[in-house]
Amino acid sequence: MKTRAIKIGLLASVCLVTGVQAEVKIGAIYDLTGGLNIYGIQQNNALKLAVDNINSNGGLLGEQIQVVGYDAQSELSKYTQYVNTAILRDKIDALFAGLTSSSREAIRPIVRKANIPYFYASLYEGGACDKQTFVTGTSASQQLSVLIEWGIRKYGPKIYIMAPDYNFGTISAHWVHEFANQSGGEVVGEDFLALTVTDYAPTIQKIQAAKPDFVVALPVGANQTGFLEQFAAAGLKEKIGVVSTNYGSGNQQVVVSPAAGKELIASQGYFQQVENPANAKFVEMWQAAYGDDTPIVSGAVDTWNAVNLWAQAVSQAGTTDADEVIKALESGMTFDSPTGPVQLSPGSHHLIQTIFVAEGDDNHGFKIVDEFVGIKPTYEDQKCDLIENPDLAKHFTPDQN
Amino acid sequence: MEFDYLATVLLSSLASASILLIATIGLAVVFGLMGVINLAHGEFLMIGAYTALTATQAGVPFLLSIPIAVAVTMAIGAVIEILVINRLYGRIFDTMLATWGISIAFYQLAVLIFGTVTPGIGMPQYSIKIGDYNLAGYSLLMIFVAALMGSFVYLLMTRTVYGMKARASIQEPAMARAIGIESSRVNTMTFSLGCGLAGFAGAILLPIVPATPSMGFAFVIKAFLTVVVAGPVTLTGSAIAAIGLGGGASITASFLTSVAGDVFFFLITAVLLWLFPLGITAGWRRKM
Repeated sequence: MKTRAIKIGLLASVCLVTGVQAEVKIGAIYDLTGGLNIYGIQQNNALKLAVDNINSNGGLLGEQIQVVGYDAQSELSKYTQYVNTAILRDKIDALFAGLTSSSREAIRPIVRKANIPYFYASLYEGGACDKQTFVTGTSASQQLSVLIEWGIRKYGPKIYIMAPDYNFGTISAHWVHEFANQSGGEVVGEDFLALTVTDYAPTIQKIQAAKPDFVVALPVGANQTGFLEQFAAAGLKEKIGVVSTNYGSGNQQVVVSPAAGKELIASQGYFQQVENPANAKFVEMWQAAYGDDTPIVSGAVDTWNAVNLWAQAVSQAGTTDADEVIKALESGMTFDSPTGPVQLSPGSHHLIQTIFVAEGDDNHGFKIVDEFVGIKPTYEDQKCDLIENPDLAKHFTPDQN
Repeated sequence: MEFDYLATVLLSSLASASILLIATIGLAVVFGLMGVINLAHGEFLMIGAYTALTATQAGVPFLLSIPIAVAVTMAIGAVIEILVINRLYGRIFDTMLATWGISIAFYQLAVLIFGTVTPGIGMPQYSIKIGDYNLAGYSLLMIFVAALMGSFVYLLMTRTVYGMKARASIQEPAMARAIGIESSRVNTMTFSLGCGLAGFAGAILLPIVPATPSMGFAFVIKAFLTVVVAGPVTLTGSAIAAIGLGGGASITASFLTSVAGDVFFFLITAVLLWLFPLGITAGWRRKM
């Protein structure tokens, strides 16, 4: 670190001499093309918006923030390649990247070795624990702790789980079981589906055979939204409720027809409809920059929060030095975000934030029906204390079965 | 197991198989008649879906948007055949590579034109009830659509002059040309027809599978395997393979898990190709 500091010092003095302004540099690696760009484009837009906003207000430590951006093309191998390039060649001070858990897991060892603060801005299955990694999205247990209880109160105790067949789905399912037990509910059936399934008839029959009060549906990707159409077309919506922690995270409510989307329940850390001054300002800035064609998704706001938290930490530390910035980030930092006030939990590097429950309307939109302020990342806080154990580098998963 | 559950499982599995067959026929025609594996087949399906979607958004009734989708995909198919496929006959790996490239280009074009999310049109909210179970009416309708589509292609290929010319141009191109068949034009027509069938599939399945740039990927693998299992008697073979593999996978998924359904599909495909390396219809003496 010392040599690095010297280098930066040298660089700064060279720049002073030549009159060129030294810059604070961050890396942005998102999926701008390929199947995941539903999320990646908005994450990248949010990052640019946050940086422009900081730069136009005088920058950071008196310098302008410069963004080095790469398109990961929805391919895992591109992430490792570009993260290495951004660190070794571009010499970034902080990294903002990734959507899928597999991309995050590919990035973590690299940023750990290089000691670069890394921000992962997406809702996910939870449990990532690493000194350099900061998660601004909600974890599955954070969302489900609220949603399952809400669903049991609204619909009744019998639950059916429809989830994608990989760790987001299976870990979420674990939490559904756990919170169902805590709230007096019962899981009457579950089905895990490959991401390429387009025909949901077998699942829909099994749901009818199990007779649940509501279905926890966690469709990932465009194909799985077909489930919601087919569920509605089979005439099951009157009898069985549908709740989800990720419906809407990729603007699925725009794709799904009004007949199928109406009255679907989604819970996330952000919806564009959230009413507070910070969000009103954020939405106005966003729409001035990118138009109002596409609703803003939670991943975008998670990225906005990540950039602002990092900038706050840099200002507080008075330097971009990784150790100092991480120390500042671990000081119980708060931020007035579009989702409401958030606080970075020092031990787990996850956000204490508001969880909203929203109901789909008949015009491809949402109406917020309930909100739960200050929901803690309880599971992550319990397993992961990076103040006590700074050397922890794990991905905690709740024991299956 | 109650009777009503069994009945719904059988009916909906037949519907699943029909959806697979609808998505496969275009690929089967192009592969069977031209020996070209069109890896952009899924993207033609996607183009059909987007055309129908755009037409319905412009106020065209859904039923009328289907022929529009067929016309558009046939036209694009014809252009692709003339510009690319035409030059690659008999070079199966080169055509695979070329059509794969085309599929990537089409995919990104769709992202640029339509963005990543577009409103779907949804399924008609009509369902039938068997005992305790509901089935979506539109999915069941697909059984008839698949039967109609199959018969149409069969009659077209066996009972019309074009069909005979098409088969002649591929089986004996030199002889076909010698007796005055302009085989390159016939090939353009056949490829275009295959793309049109994909466009039809995309349009008719639009209510079930929302139009998204990546929708082609979901279909192309299973459609491709169905055609390979089918072997040289493509149409009959594809129908049998679709019902066996697609229907079987759906029944397995209904009684076990969705993952088991997929395992069934791929395992049976592997076993069949091990037993019949040239496809299940290799020894048959039928034309289509």
